[in-house]
Amino acid sequence: MMNALDPHAVLDKAVEATPAPLARRIRGLSDRAIAWLFIAPTIALLLAINIFPLLWTIRLSFTNFRANRPNATVAGVGIDNYVSVLTDPDVWAAMQATAHFLFWTILLQTMLGFTLAYLIDRRFRGHGFWTTVILIPMMLSPAVVGNFWAFLYQPQIGLFNYVVSFFSGIPPSSFEMIGSVKLAPWSIIIVDTWMWTPYVMLICLAGLRSIPNYIYEAAEVDRASRWRQFWSITLPMALPFIMLAVLFRGIENFKMFDMVNLLTSGGPGSTTELASITLKREAFEKWRTGYSSAFAIVLFVTVFGLANIYVKALNRVKNR
Amino acid sequence: MTVMRMAELVMEGVTKRFGATVAIADLTLTVGDGEFLVLLGPTGAGKTTTLRLVAGLEGPDVGRVLLAGRDVTPEPPAARDTTFVFQQYSLYPHLTVYDNLAFPLRSPARRVPEGKIRTRVLEIAQLLHIEDKLANRATQLSGGQMQRVAIGRALVRRPSIYLMDEPLSSLDAKLRAEMRVELKRIHRELGATILYVTHDQTEAMTMATHIGVLDQGRLVQIGSPREIYADPINTYVAMRLGSPAINLVPRRLYPNVEAPAAAETIGVRTEHVRIRKSANGGAVGRVKWIEHLGDQNHLHVTIADTDVVTLCDRDAGVVVGDAVDVELTAPLFFAANGERVRAN
Repeated sequence: MMNALDPHAVLDKAVEATPAPLARRIRGLSDRAIAWLFIAPTIALLLAINIFPLLWTIRLSFTNFRANRPNATVAGVGIDNYVSVLTDPDVWAAMQATAHFLFWTILLQTMLGFTLAYLIDRRFRGHGFWTTVILIPMMLSPAVVGNFWAFLYQPQIGLFNYVVSFFSGIPPSSFEMIGSVKLAPWSIIIVDTWMWTPYVMLICLAGLRSIPNYIYEAAEVDRASRWRQFWSITLPMALPFIMLAVLFRGIENFKMFDMVNLLTSGGPGSTTELASITLKREAFEKWRTGYSSAFAIVLFVTVFGLANIYVKALNRVKNR
Repeated sequence: MTVMRMAELVMEGVTKRFGATVAIADLTLTVGDGEFLVLLGPTGAGKTTTLRLVAGLEGPDVGRVLLAGRDVTPEPPAARDTTFVFQQYSLYPHLTVYDNLAFPLRSPARRVPEGKIRTRVLEIAQLLHIEDKLANRATQLSGGQMQRVAIGRALVRRPSIYLMDEPLSSLDAKLRAEMRVELKRIHRELGATILYVTHDQTEAMTMATHIGVLDQGRLVQIGSPREIYADPINTYVAMRLGSPAINLVPRRLYPNVEAPAAAETIGVRTEHVRIRKSANGGAVGRVKWIEHLGDQNHLHVTIADTDVVTLCDRDAGVVVGDAVDVELTAPLFFAANGERVRAN
């Protein structure tokens, strides 16, 4: 029985089990070649699913191709698509809506998430239970969230308006979260914050838990007040984690589509039309494939560039 | 005339429990001004808990802690005038060495001007030979440097008492020896009152003005290193000091030694065992093996079923297997329960 655990015995067994011709062929390969053999399938998949579509999109972005007319002649149009994307006021409006959405969701989620993490980290009675409760929104599908918040936001029967009116005295049917031009951008910010604050909280919690207790004890003996401990120990030591949460949320929300599409479909007008929704309209409603490819590349470069700058900053903070 | 600041620590009948475990049992202890008291004991004896009680990181269940004559028992750590060197460095990893050292001085309550902080930090950095590391981040240091920063962070302030929890345990032997000398010098130069915890008897013997031996939360004996070494009150204390450890042999193997009636065990330190190559047939022991330590040899001699370790010159001419006579020159006597029995 012990033989099964002996590495030599295992190897011998593997050699016996390998068909002779194959064994000969493998034995002829260098370690490096075998390594390549192992990762080749993954690389092939990556090329097929990620790299090829990206390259193809870049190619299409220089043409007037329309995916709903596959048989029409395709002509190269140079950088015309890029010029029209960057000069299109609708695109800029979408970028503005995205920036507004990004700024407020990240700000609110970071502040709320960190505060919640800070409170949970005190390990009061039942903190495990409350952590689970707080995490529930995050576990739902964005499509489900979009749909049921559409109900919650109903002016007549929705719970949201009822609660607001209960606390403020404003009649519940006097305002519409989704229908009003002024409130609609906030309606999606509220839902996204409701859904993703727990995620930020989790990451912040990991950050807070990573600070060893003896650091606080040392600070206490060094006569640092709670306030000073927070500013000179808790915050700086948790900062890399907070920044990581901001990065994740930023990238996620830059391409936000499903929840907003279900909740407001970009309306009213185009007040909540985020970049990804505009992109989907151009690509699959207007079928301007070349143009939307150019738009997609612009978005990709933007998010890639911003993320890169940000990661550099993050690394600086981490290596402080 | 200047008023001397008395820095005396008194613990009165302190008991601390963690759940069902009694960490400290009715501990009464005084560390006088300028004393260097080393608490000695194995893991779990309550050494660290004692320090934490003094610092205020734990509160006693029973008893009082007085610092410089003031009852500080209910006060939080910040209100007490102590500094603490933790066993695991506990530097602030995101700060530079300079900022780590300056941290205790930057307490908003104290408002030390930045110029003064600078002078003090540089002074301490020089003392500990880390002045060229001030701009480094704490995480970029070696273990020895980190520990020196941790000690430095305790030294920048002038508290009534310095608390040190095995500060040298993570250093290599050479650095540890250096730091022992350094700490002793600091103690002398600053006239500091130090409560120091270790399980290393060399540290205790070389640095302490007083040694307290702890056993399962109880203070067994306290006294000067010499007293603890030469005059232990029981076998537990006797075993804590001396390397190799004191020989404990049954009384009945040495019928010729004059001993009090209650004595069951004879304790004798290695340097108090004389051995002689047996000339006649009256040999009591046989050399089992010899450890060569360079300047000296340790002889392991078997007498009946027990082993006795003794020091021996290299050129004594004794070899393994020799029959030897054993003479005990300064025996200590212990009763069956391990308590010391004195000849009177």
